[in-house]
Parts: sequence; structure tokens; C-alpha cells
Amino acid sequence: MKIAEHDQTIAMCNRCGFCQVACPTFRATGQEAGVARGRVALLRALNEGRLEWSPDLEEPLFACLLCGACTTNCFPAVPTADLIVDAREEYLEKVGRKRIHKLLFEHLLPYPERLRRVARAVALGKNSGLSSVARALGLLRVFGRDFPKSEKIIGRMPGYALRERFPPGGFEGRGKELRVGYFVGCGMEIMNPVAAEASIDLLREAALEVHILENTCCGLPAGSYGDREAARRLAARNLEVVTAQPLDLIVTDCSSCASFLKQYPGLFDEGNPLHEKSKEVASRVRDMVEQALAFPPPKLEEKEPIIVTYHDPCHASRGQKLVAQPRQILESLPGVEYREMPEADWCCGGAGSYALSHFETAMKVLDRKIDNVEKTGANVLATSCPACIIQLAYGVRRRKLPVRVCHLSELIHERLPQT
Amino acid sequence: MDPRFIRRLRKIVGKEHVRSGPADLEVYSYDASLARAQPGAVVFPADTRETANVVRAASEADIPYVPRGFGTNLSGGSIAPENGLVICLSRLNRILSIRPDRRSAQVQAGVTNLELQNALAPLRFFYAPDPASQKVSTLGGNVGENSGGPRCVKHGVTKNHILGLEVVLPDGEVVRMGGQVLDPPGYDLCSILVGSEGTLGIVTEITVRILPSPESVVTLLAVYDRVADAARSVSEIIAEGIVPASLEMMDAPVMRAVEESYPCGYPLDAAAVLIIEVDGPTVGLKGQAERIREICSAQGCRQVREAGDSGERDLLWAGRRGAFGAIARLAPSYLVADCTVPRTKIPEALERVRAIAERHQLSHGNVFHAGDGNLHPLLFFDSRDPDQLLRVHEAGLEIMKESVELGGTITGEHGVGVEKLEAMHLIFSEDDLDAQRAVRHAFDPEQRLNPGKAIPAPARAQRAEEARGREISGAEELAPATAKEACEVVTQAFREGTALLPEGKGRWRRFGNTTDRDLLALRSRGLASIVEYDPPNQTITAEAGISLEELQGALKPNRQWLPIRPFLGKRTTLGSMLALGACGPERLRYGAPRDLLLGLRFVSGTGRLISTGGKVVKNVAGYDLGRLLAGSAGTLGFLTEITLRVSALPESCREASSCGSLEKIASAAGELLRSNIEPAFIVASPLNGTTSGAGTETEQASWRLSVGLEGFGETVEAQAERCAELFAGNGLRGDAPQGYPVEDGLFADTDESLHRALFLLRADLPMDKVKDFVEAASGATQTEGLFADFGCGRVRVGMADLSEDAWGGLCGHARDLDGHVLLEKAPDDFKRRQDVYGPSQRAWKVMHKVKEALDPKNIFAPGRLPGRK
Repeated sequence: MKIAEHDQTIAMCNRCGFCQVACPTFRATGQEAGVARGRVALLRALNEGRLEWSPDLEEPLFACLLCGACTTNCFPAVPTADLIVDAREEYLEKVGRKRIHKLLFEHLLPYPERLRRVARAVALGKNSGLSSVARALGLLRVFGRDFPKSEKIIGRMPGYALRERFPPGGFEGRGKELRVGYFVGCGMEIMNPVAAEASIDLLREAALEVHILENTCCGLPAGSYGDREAARRLAARNLEVVTAQPLDLIVTDCSSCASFLKQYPGLFDEGNPLHEKSKEVASRVRDMVEQALAFPPPKLEEKEPIIVTYHDPCHASRGQKLVAQPRQILESLPGVEYREMPEADWCCGGAGSYALSHFETAMKVLDRKIDNVEKTGANVLATSCPACIIQLAYGVRRRKLPVRVCHLSELIHERLPQT
Repeated sequence: MDPRFIRRLRKIVGKEHVRSGPADLEVYSYDASLARAQPGAVVFPADTRETANVVRAASEADIPYVPRGFGTNLSGGSIAPENGLVICLSRLNRILSIRPDRRSAQVQAGVTNLELQNALAPLRFFYAPDPASQKVSTLGGNVGENSGGPRCVKHGVTKNHILGLEVVLPDGEVVRMGGQVLDPPGYDLCSILVGSEGTLGIVTEITVRILPSPESVVTLLAVYDRVADAARSVSEIIAEGIVPASLEMMDAPVMRAVEESYPCGYPLDAAAVLIIEVDGPTVGLKGQAERIREICSAQGCRQVREAGDSGERDLLWAGRRGAFGAIARLAPSYLVADCTVPRTKIPEALERVRAIAERHQLSHGNVFHAGDGNLHPLLFFDSRDPDQLLRVHEAGLEIMKESVELGGTITGEHGVGVEKLEAMHLIFSEDDLDAQRAVRHAFDPEQRLNPGKAIPAPARAQRAEEARGREISGAEELAPATAKEACEVVTQAFREGTALLPEGKGRWRRFGNTTDRDLLALRSRGLASIVEYDPPNQTITAEAGISLEELQGALKPNRQWLPIRPFLGKRTTLGSMLALGACGPERLRYGAPRDLLLGLRFVSGTGRLISTGGKVVKNVAGYDLGRLLAGSAGTLGFLTEITLRVSALPESCREASSCGSLEKIASAAGELLRSNIEPAFIVASPLNGTTSGAGTETEQASWRLSVGLEGFGETVEAQAERCAELFAGNGLRGDAPQGYPVEDGLFADTDESLHRALFLLRADLPMDKVKDFVEAASGATQTEGLFADFGCGRVRVGMADLSEDAWGGLCGHARDLDGHVLLEKAPDDFKRRQDVYGPSQRAWKVMHKVKEALDPKNIFAPGRLPGRK
């Protein structure tokens, strides 16, 4: 939708300013252009002719984390994140897009194999201390101009991608029913295959069969960037992949993917056959965080006692309203003492590749998060989104804290009896 | 904006902290009000020093500027001057210190109210002002607007809780006003800054008073089928002598909006609800809640529900605090009026608001601070429709007119800003406004700081009519019988340059520094009647020459009193008491005279009769000249008429006392002040009246601690028991509690004996430093009497002699302890050599400028001020 068509929604903002309290970028910068009220005011100014579409708008529009916390604190519930995505789309159309994004969304993300090849090249460079080689290849510049600084966020890259060990196809489970499709998130596949393997094994523990899907990127990065068309193309391909075989459920351990898969119907107009199809698929999509609770509870073993706190990924808490579930899981794990951290649902500043493109702001947002982690005294920080894991792990590393950052699946899986 | 100026700003604060692109300017063109204007640049200084440099740069470049926090202002006060500079303080966001032992916290201006509350909560302390926007409004903004909030029924507004400010003045100078003590000597400069809407200086750092969290809280929701019944209950509850922590009202349209956006459990079929909260010592609270229940039922309340737990309570408050935002569901825009009326006029005010809204075809709702009569009628409209915008502004103005007609004011807490400039003429004469303009001019002669806000531009077409004078030459003293006469004699004195000494009974004739000029006494004895007493609203207006005793006598039949027991007793006149800020140790519970002051009339140094304030408890229209006059010791004007807030007489007054060493007594006093026991006073004095430094064993055990407990009988008894336990915990044995007379208190004799000494020194200190100063004073001089007020951080020492060396030493000591000294009494020859206010301070210069503004020829008590002005 064009911004002009949102006129009524935009007018609902009465500038009370309550969004400021929860906006991570505003708390970090203290600047009005970095908060919902300011961003919505800019859209209003565009509609009322006081401003024109120009590169001036890039920073305010693209520096939004899309975490949605403003809307939670907004009495008329102005959906700022949605407005921003539409505004980004219009911006790209009217002001122009960068070549590098075209490369990313049209030539890299739709092709898992190419993505894996890039990752291998990067891993080689990174782990051998030759990350400058990878940079020179220009492959990582897709992430934006702050990359030279932000590259250090990513620690050691894993030496393999998930689907190199678990090629797409069916794997037998130890359960009695349910055929489950495992949707492979790019972040899980490339940055965190160990956690992905833990998830797959948990699924095999409970399901009759687990089918590793040959999906592409879910489309969220393109969608958030404002490139709806690219997101639709990726979604269309994934809809084909997940409906190619009969599956009871489609599970992913990336909360961002799960949230976006559930939003597929919004990408296609009603009347488009893909709208109905995506609605049907969305009804079978589960975040690992909710599915783990739906399965019969596995028998778990006690390990050395740990103190765990949990970070709510925006796409789990606000995107899917999954707030109680992860806590319920953690509190049920033997030997785990769960401690709630202050502002657990505040964005960590990772926000997909945000940290790579807006390094300074992302670091301030991260500082606040890590302060809160420290307050709990926990030695394990669990979450369920690979981008959060990268960001949080960097935060912990930077402060040299003795805190392990991991995926929720790993904590459950480690407590399965070794057979 | 001039690129050279932008470059200069960048040099001061760094490139990334100056914004001037079109998008940046757009997002700083509004606040939470309906006003807008585009600035030329926005700058984000990191600290006070950078702020001062930015102000200097703006002055040199002749660019107008406005300070801004998070832009939640509701009257347009933080809107930039067109093409001017916005100085945004969002980077000044640190809490600098929290000191429960002295009940203070120091913060930078960009810290939000809630951030401070959250930092205090684990220490079981709180900061009383709690505007509904507390999540997002900064303390700097709270200071600028003199913010209130639901809790101010009991605890007062921002003004009552500010100890000190660090201010960047328009000339770029940085001045500290006030500090760590309750009542620093000299003018109360903080009070004129608080509520000045960013027009006098830029506040960068704030020291606030914090209080121990109450022991218990009971929250009631009273549900009504008729709005008028709810409104009547409000004044009935207050008239009963109950002081709720909060007393809020919400009507049906607002409740619906809240429930739709965030279900909080409000009854959707009711016409109105009251949220009533009482807090304090657990014993007695249930009784109060029960009494409230009875009152509400008698007024036709359908049901009274008590919040079962803190979750239910939080939910009720979440709805109340979010009410303005929730209104956004009903219409894209709303205008929130902010008028205040006497509590008894609430039903009528609501009815008039309804009629106005109807006449202008606007739907409306009400959610407001009923306990202090501060109405917030909300008018719903769509700002994109010019016709609606016009109608809503007209309706807003009419609402203000009606409120003034009902004895109220135009703004209780949101400020004048730009939206209420016109309405200022409804309550102030041109003379009144001129006095305020003179104060502004004293701070900002070039009018660059937030121009066009808070005070309307002069509207006089021609010069004011020449004032009449009245012959004064040859008179021994002057005692005008009316305010008009007073104006005439002052006008004459102004023309002739005759120095006047305003006074009541003459007991404080020698107060302050001394002068060689001849002073003609201007006495208030001809002005000694009660003008208006409004028992249900608990306000009284009386002329300045009436004695406190007489005033109390008039209040007593209604079981009310003015809760002040000033030093040197009840025979003082109301005017002297206010002018000297005289109070006793009960200030701990009831506040200083200026805290009870609602309105004031005085004759300025040019012979004009100036009104300030009004007779409603919440009022932020115009600068608070009243608080400036309170404590000015007759140097700014001649007081003629005073309106004060009075209270219900306490049911019971008991003294819990104990004897022991200074050490133990100070430790018990400190613990009391950190506890949630709510004493009226905590004082101590040596048993034999004097002390000497190196005491023997017996001398050390010779102090008497006295703790006053006042209020409902059963609460007082329970608190006396808790005091006894606390004494025991500090190794002290409590004496049996004794009753005492409510109006006279316990210390009239002590005061008299202190006052007999040749030198009388008063020290105002952070409350944790009382003992240190007592020891220093005892060591430095031979004391004739000593009175240590632990609850207010005040020490009075009577001395037969004081060497200049010892005086210098005590001045230094007080300064090292973050305190102040003042010689309330000293022989003239001593005064000729020494300033009785001690060594010079930067803030004195500001006091002198204020004096010049209101008394340009320096005719009122010349020489008396700090720095001998």
C-alpha cells in the first residue's frame, strides 16, 4: 500500500510520545527521527506535502529495527513497523535501490546452494584470519556500509552448513505419528548448524518422520527492506516446496522465519490463489518454541546446574505472541534455575542484518541488553532466533562475560538421555 | 539557518549532535500539543558545559532557542521559535546520586520521571510528583512545567519537591540554585524556575527530595450512576479530614476508550468512577478506607471495590495513566483542557463543560485529578478539518472562562505555553503581567530564550494611568488601612526614593544585613481582617496584618488549622510569617509556609498592586511570584493579602521522647527518617540547654530526642509504639508518650530562650549532617541554647558571643557539609563587618537582579539581602 492510502492510520498518532519509552533506537540515540512518533510524523509530512521523497528519509526509515515495541505502548496501536515497511517499499521505488541489495535479494537468497558457497568462502577467510580476503570479494558488502566495523560481530564461522550434513529429504523419527517438515532458516543453516541439529533431533524424538525441506530464504530480509516483490518471489517458491509432500506440520527453530511464514497470506492479495494457499500453509507452521511444548514431554536427565535467562526475539514475543512458552520450557528443565531479566522483550539490536548496517546504534541497543543480562547473574542466555544469537554472543564476548549464548533447542537436547 | 552558526555548533558538540536536514527539522516541529513551528536546527549537548557554550553561541549569533526534553508538552511550550534553535537535552540522561540518608537524589534533566521512580523503588523510596506521562516525560520537563500528577493531592506538585537546580542562564553563566537543604536562606530561586516553562534558564541538573515509600496502600474504585454524585463525594472526603494520596475521576466515554484499548476492569455501564487511594501507616488505613466507603455510599455511589492485590491496583492505574492516549481511539485529535476549580465547584464545572461541548458540537470526555479540582475535559476532533479546529479552540477558551468565573484558574499543570497565552488576561491584570515580564527581563533581557511563551506580550495601548501618591514626609511610621492606601504610600516612596521597612509586629525589625539608610516602617496592622474563608475547600484568604493566633481562632470552629507553628510563636502576623518563611519543625510533615501558599497580593516597589496565584491548590499560570515573596523578608514588596491552604485538625498529637547521647539520638533520628513512620517532627536539644565540645560521660548522655506524631488517634498510638521499638534498637529507652496542644506545639519556650541570646545562628543542612554541625558549633563557641531539627535539617544556636574567626569557621563547616548558615540575630557592629549570610555565592547575583526587577529603586528593606543589596 502507498503511504497516501495510510492517511487515516497515520492521523491516529496524536503525538503523545509514549512510544519513546519502549523504542530501543530512541533510548540509544535520544533523537526524534529514531522513534515511532517521529517516523510517523515524517510520513504525515509526506502526505501533507511538507516533505518530498528524498535520500534524507533513508536514515529514519531504514534505522528502524521493526521490533514493534512502539505499537505495544501505543493506545491507538498505530502499526508503525508495518507503515515503515510500506514506506521503505515506496522509498525504493521513488528514490532508488542499491545494486548490492538487488544482488542479495535476487541472486543470493533465492539460491541456498549459492548462499552456502558464499558462507564457505567467508568461513575460510574469517577462520584463517583472512577476513579481508572475503571482504575483498565483496561478498559480505551486501550487508551495508558499516560492514568493515561490524564484521567483527560474527565470531568464528562454522565450517559447514546444515544441509551439507542433512541433505533435503526424509529422516526417520522415533515417534509414532506426525510427519514434520523442518524449515531451514538461513541463519540456522549457516551460522548455527549445531543448534539446528539439536532441533532436528528433538523433532525426530517426537515425530514419525522429519523432512528436511529444500526451502530458500523465507523472504523476511527482503520484506523488511521494503522489497515486497522479492519477498513474494521467495514466498511463492517456498510455498511450492512445503506443499510438495504431505506434512502435518512445518516447524522451524528460527523465530523470525516462523513469524514471517505465518504472515505469508499478507503478501498476496485476496483472490490470488497463493493467498489461500499461504493461509493453509500458515495454519501448519509452528515455531520450535511452541512445538516443543506441544509434544509429549521427553524424559530428561539432570546435568550440571545452570542459571538461565531468556531473551525474547521480537519475532517470537510480538511477532507470534510466544512469551509464556519458552519460560515454561526453561522452568521445566532439570537442573536449570530460570531468572527473568529486566526488559527481556527489548530488541537486542541484531534485527536480522540491522547490526551489520547500523553498527553504532545497534551497539548502544546491545549495551542496554547486556546490562540487563548481567543483572540476572545468569551463566546461560537462551533465545530462539539466530540473528539474536549472533548479536548477543558478540555482546557477551565484548564484555568478556562468562555467559554462554545458545538456542533453546540446545538446552533441551543436551538433557535427552544419551542412547 | 546560517551555516557559520551550524559550524560553530558542530565545533561545540560534535558533528553528529547537530541536526538540520529537512527530515530532522520536521520531527522537531511539534510536541504533544496542537501547536507547531519549524526550527532551524537541533542540537544535542552532552552536558552542562556544552549547553552553556551552545547558549553563548546562540546569544552571540542572536538566534532564539528553546530547551526540550522528550517533547511531551501539552501546551506548546516546547515548540521552537520559527527558524530558531532547539536545545534537546536527551543526552543528559544520568542519575547522578541517590541519598536516602538525606532524602535527596540528583539527576540530569533528561532522566525520565519513571526512570527515577524505578531506581528509587528497590530502596523503598519514591519521588512524589507522578505526571500521567511519567514513562516519557523528563524531570527537566517536569521542572519546566511544575508537573503534578495523581499523587499530588497529598504530596503537592514538583515545586514542593525540588531542593536544587543547576541552571544555564541566558548569558551563558552556570548557576546553582538551592542545593541539598530544604530552605536555603535568601530568595527561593528554584521556585521561580520551576514552572517557568523554560523561559528563564535551561535546567541541566536537578536535586529532588525523595520520600520513604508508605507502609501500606489501599486503592478503591467507587462506581457511580451519576457524575454529580461522584463529584460531590470528592469534596465530602476531603472535608472529612482524610487526605487521600490520589483521588481521580473518570467518566463513561473515557472508560470505554480505555477498556477498548487495554481492558483494565472499569465498569462500562457506569456514568463515572473515582479511583481513591489512601496510603500511610497500616494501622488506621482500614478505618480511613471504611470511612471513604461510607461517604461515597451516602452520596449515591453504586459500589465500592477494593483492589485485591498490587496486580489489580496496577491495572487500574495503567488505565488511568493511559487515558489520554486511549482517547486517540475515539478521534484522531483531542484538545485537553487543564482548568482548576475549587473542589466544591466540580459538579457545576462539569455541567458547564458539557454545555460548551454541546454548543460547539464536539464530543467530549473527562478524566481528571478530582482531589485538587484539576479538570481535564477532553474535546475530540480531527485536526485535519479547519472548521473543527476553530470550534475546538473556541470551546477551550470558553472552558477556561467558566473556570475562572467559578473561582478557578486556566491551567493546573500543563502550562500556558502558546495555547493559553490569551487566557492569561482572564486572570491577570496588565500590572500583574508587567511584574512577571520584569522578572523575565531580569533573567533574559534580550528575550532569546523560548520567546513568545508563558507570558503574553504587552497589550497596553498607551502608558498606564499615572498612579496616585499620598503624602508620607514627616510620618514616623506608615500603617495603611487598605491595599489602595498602601499603593499610594509606596508610589510616593518610589517617587521620593524613601526607604521602607515592611513589618508586622516589629519583632524581626533587625533581621538580615544592616543598612545606614533611614528606614520608614510600613506596618501591616491596618490590614488585619479575614477576607474569605471557604471551609469545604480548605482555603482561607486573610490580610497580611492578622495574627496567626486570630487566624487559627477563625479556623477552629470548623476543626481546621493552618499547620504551622512558627519560630517565636503564634503572635506573629501572617505577613511576617510568610515573608520570613517562618515555620517550626512540623515542616517535616506539613511543609513550609510557601508550600501552603496559594495566592498573594502585594504592593511592588513601583506602588502597583500585584496579584499572583489564586485560591486553587494547583495553579501553574504565570511565574510563581508568591513563592518568591515568601521568604524575601520584605525586600520585594509589601504583602497585603494572603490565600493559604488549611487542613483538618489532627485528632491526636503525641510526643515520643527519649534521652541519650547525641550519637545515639542522631542515629535514631536517621533511622526514623529512612523508615516509613510518618512523624510530624524529629528534634533534639541538650537537657541543660547548652553544650560544650569535649563533653564528659554525663554530658554526652544529656540530649533529649522528641518525635511528634499527629493524625488519627489509632495511627498515632501505633506509631508511638514503633518509635519506642526504634529507640530500643538504638540503645535508647523511650519515655511514656505525652499529648501536646495542637496549635502551640511544644517548643514556644525553647524558641523564646534561644531568641534571648545576643547571637542567633541558623544553619540549614542536609538532614544527615545535623549531628556534624552540632558538634562543630559546640566545639567552636560557647552556646547558650541549641535546637537541632533532624527532620528538616535545621540547627539553631544561641550564643552570647561570636568571634569573627569562629563565624568564618562555621560558615566553612556548613559549606563543607553542603549546608548554609544565617545569623538571624547579631549586634549591628558585627553586621557592619560581616555579611550575616556568610561568604558570597553566585546565586546572589541572580537574587539582586530579581530585586531590581520588582523594586527598581531599592526602597524595600535596602541592604537586608545576602550581599547587602
